[in-house]
Amino acid sequence: MSFTEYFELLFNDYTLRTISLGTAILGAICGMLGSFAVLRKQSLLGDAISHAALPGIAIAFLITGTKETNVLLIGALISGLIGAFWIRGITRRTHLKSDTALGLILSIFFGFGMLLLTYIQKQPNANQAGLDKFLFGQAATLLARDVWFMATVTLVCLLVLLLFWKEFKILLFDADYAKTLGFNTKMIDILITSFIVLAIVLGLQTVGVVLMSAMLLAPAAAARQWTNSLGIMVVLAAVFGATSGVVGTAISASQNNLSTGPVIVLVAATFVILSFIFSPSRGLLFRQIRFIKNRKDLQLHKTLAFMFDIAKSHENISHPHAVKILNNFHGYTKKSLSKLEDKEYIRVEGLMWEMTEKGYDFALNLYNQQVEEND
Amino acid sequence: MGKQKFAVTVDDLTVAYNYKPVLWDIDLAIPEGVLMAIVGPNGAGKSTLIKAILGIIDPIAGSVSIYGKPYKKQRKLVGYVPQKGSVDWDFPTTALDVVMMGTYGSLGWIKRPGKKEKKTALESLEKVGMLSFKDRQISQLSGGQQQRVFLARALAQDADIYFMDEPFQGVDATTEIAIINILKELRKKGKTVVVVHHDLQTVPEYFDWVTFLNVKKIATGPVKEIFNDDNLTKTYGINYKVSVQK
Amino acid sequence: MTSAQLEIQLIASLVAIACAIPGTFLVLRKMALISDAISHSILPGLVIGFFITHDLGSPLLIIMAALSGVITVVLVEFIQKTKLVKEDTAIGLVFPAMFSIGVILISKNANDIHLDTDVVLLGELAFAPFDRLLIDGMDFGPKSLWTIGVILLITLSLLFAFFKELKISTFDAGLATALGFSPVVLHYGLMSVASVTTVGAFDAVGAILVVALMIAPAATAYLLTDNLKKMLLLSVFFGVFSAISGYWLAHWLDASISGSMTTVLGMVFLLVYLFAPKRGLFSVLYRNKQQQVEVSLLTFLLHLNNHTEKSERHINHLNEHINWQKVRSKSVVDLALRNNMITIDKNIISLTEKGKSFTDKAIDYIITNDDSKIESIKEDFFLFRG
Repeated sequence: MSFTEYFELLFNDYTLRTISLGTAILGAICGMLGSFAVLRKQSLLGDAISHAALPGIAIAFLITGTKETNVLLIGALISGLIGAFWIRGITRRTHLKSDTALGLILSIFFGFGMLLLTYIQKQPNANQAGLDKFLFGQAATLLARDVWFMATVTLVCLLVLLLFWKEFKILLFDADYAKTLGFNTKMIDILITSFIVLAIVLGLQTVGVVLMSAMLLAPAAAARQWTNSLGIMVVLAAVFGATSGVVGTAISASQNNLSTGPVIVLVAATFVILSFIFSPSRGLLFRQIRFIKNRKDLQLHKTLAFMFDIAKSHENISHPHAVKILNNFHGYTKKSLSKLEDKEYIRVEGLMWEMTEKGYDFALNLYNQQVEEND
Repeated sequence: MGKQKFAVTVDDLTVAYNYKPVLWDIDLAIPEGVLMAIVGPNGAGKSTLIKAILGIIDPIAGSVSIYGKPYKKQRKLVGYVPQKGSVDWDFPTTALDVVMMGTYGSLGWIKRPGKKEKKTALESLEKVGMLSFKDRQISQLSGGQQQRVFLARALAQDADIYFMDEPFQGVDATTEIAIINILKELRKKGKTVVVVHHDLQTVPEYFDWVTFLNVKKIATGPVKEIFNDDNLTKTYGINYKVSVQK
Repeated sequence: MTSAQLEIQLIASLVAIACAIPGTFLVLRKMALISDAISHSILPGLVIGFFITHDLGSPLLIIMAALSGVITVVLVEFIQKTKLVKEDTAIGLVFPAMFSIGVILISKNANDIHLDTDVVLLGELAFAPFDRLLIDGMDFGPKSLWTIGVILLITLSLLFAFFKELKISTFDAGLATALGFSPVVLHYGLMSVASVTTVGAFDAVGAILVVALMIAPAATAYLLTDNLKKMLLLSVFFGVFSAISGYWLAHWLDASISGSMTTVLGMVFLLVYLFAPKRGLFSVLYRNKQQQVEVSLLTFLLHLNNHTEKSERHINHLNEHINWQKVRSKSVVDLALRNNMITIDKNIISLTEKGKSFTDKAIDYIITNDDSKIESIKEDFFLFRG
């Protein structure tokens, strides 16, 4: 199936439409909540939680014998939460640092999960195949009711977000201050954390435990570059997430043998790279351009300052001087002279130059600024 | 002084971090309308004292009252300026937005800030001379400007008592003067201001009341009476001498 | 036990030792997550190397893998320098992207190679004995035994040669610089050893479980000792123990060997986490409880010391003013009475001589942090230890 065929099918094929809707919703909720994870410096906690979810899936299957996604995800939720609390316990109660605790829980839970998965695979039970879709995700296995479930959770999440927007914002920015204002920060904290865990668990079927954390981080990291408003950032992250989800699913569906997780992650990573480079206010490209421009301006300002020093020694600031005396100043070039003339800071007549009123004021201003900065 | 009204009363307050005690049995009464500095060496528990008064940290013993009632009932009378380093200044928000947070307390849960709150915030920004920066992303403000935004946020709380944690840390000279003028203005209006301060040289110039703290309370009272080498030595351990200008 | 079984256990043990040594330093230097990043990000290098050589044992694979590890580290450091995102986010963005590239490359060429995603995650320790090193028809044992053996040998000789330098720079980077050991060189040296070990172990235990073998034994050992030498020995012991018992667990369950090695590591950690004599959860909780009682006692004594007026020393005052529950204030008063630190006369509490001198000493220590004066009371009180 080629890429264009996919989009034709999208409008006709029920299954494909379901899957695309599902990944779009997933991307949106991940982007939204990922913004909070990124701003709270909990980027890697998501990684640990998603890996820690694996044994829960296997145990849920071993106990119930069903492959019902919702049942498996409840298992994932429980073991993800156990992992999260254990990490907290380790960092609070022992002298092990958070990086050790994260890496430890992540790898041990995952290893235990893999042990169970391989154990299940060897069982003489026709029902066991397909659990490994949770490793790298398989969007094709999304059913209509999975999507309904996701949509419901996203809606609830959105409602809570809108309702407690002010509280979320102040907790993220300054938790101590929020506490002095009388907000129950513990409750808001629990609310945010449980939503993040929920988003991770929802994504396991589509993106998989191994790469789920990137799905949380990447859209948020990309969105942060384009805006300085939390609200816009959350909306943008949701849009980036949804787009990555849909495009990623489309690409992986149009190829054989490709898990959705890695493809979605790479699409999201592309958003990050583009944002890092091309964002107007923070992006690397414009930063470089501004840097070069500043350096040029600085050269020009230096020349002007030199001329200002000469001009102010005369009563009449527009007293003409020979261009020749500028030769002693190494920042001076013919080009900079004509640039200054273009800006009407000076007038040049033959081999003489004189400062204009405008140039004098500008240079005086520069001088004052410098004095202030040195203060 | 007997009948003087106390804005803040602290009784037998003991605070520990991870069961390691940082404040021991503090008794403190702050009279209404003073501009008070809390001074002491690093690790003396100055910030902890403020945080315990404000209920950010739970004490293991003792009690705090604001105008005679527990803090929880008097929240709206109290404004707070945390240490500047305690927040992430790269957070996606503007100066106006941060100042607006000062009104969240009076709004309570769920209710959104409206026109009235915006007006309060703008007025507070104007008071600290930051009105023209209202839409500036907070990371693009200088250290002094960030501190002013924090001050404006506390002003937007329209409180009677203000607690400030090192408001002069890392600010330029102009901002320092601007801030102290605002604090003196507040005192003139009868407000009480408590400041964690570490520049001993400026204590006599800026403040009229001082508390020496080093795990225990060493002394508290009017600057003119108790700001002397004896108390400084007791607080800072070594033979401490500052040329106190009187 | 067949010879194949023996060989698997031998390889597993060597991998565990080779991982435990750099792992100890990573944990001590708070860089545990670097191993996570490296182990994920070497994948595209491995795969590309394999495309070129079509030989999993080729040294080119190790070079390519190490190269993509280096690229990752450079990328992460570059992103961190731009300050566009927080530091942890930078790590969290780079390695999943690299890993994704690797996984996609594998699945796109699934028919071409016998690398598959299961191998990436779990390694193929069970097949290791079948890939043998043959020179002139002579059987020198499994190839991976040689690979990991060489890596371990290099790691060990580096460890013995630079033990002093590593030790100093881990515990006191400032001192190390002053003594002329460049922390940068040691940092990148350690990174290289960790990367090469990761590549070597990848084959046997897979991407994510390498992380477990590096971090878990070291973290477990760190809960038991502060001494670097003991910590290294303990990590090696835990590593080997879980390698061998993990193998038998897998044998019994007919499941993944590396999965069960990790599971054993996890159980060992859990046991130590709960029961370690000084740093285990139970002893920490017990100590906290003791400290809480002691802080209360001291608060109480100090209060008596500070206040001479009778109203402040009335027994009811404890409940009202200090704001304690009745039960707690009673237990504190009992404790103080038992230790002859107070006397109660008509509900008015007074400090005894012993109580007074104890309080003075304690407050002196708290303010000056000079513990020479409290040697005498240290024994009885948790509060003053560490």
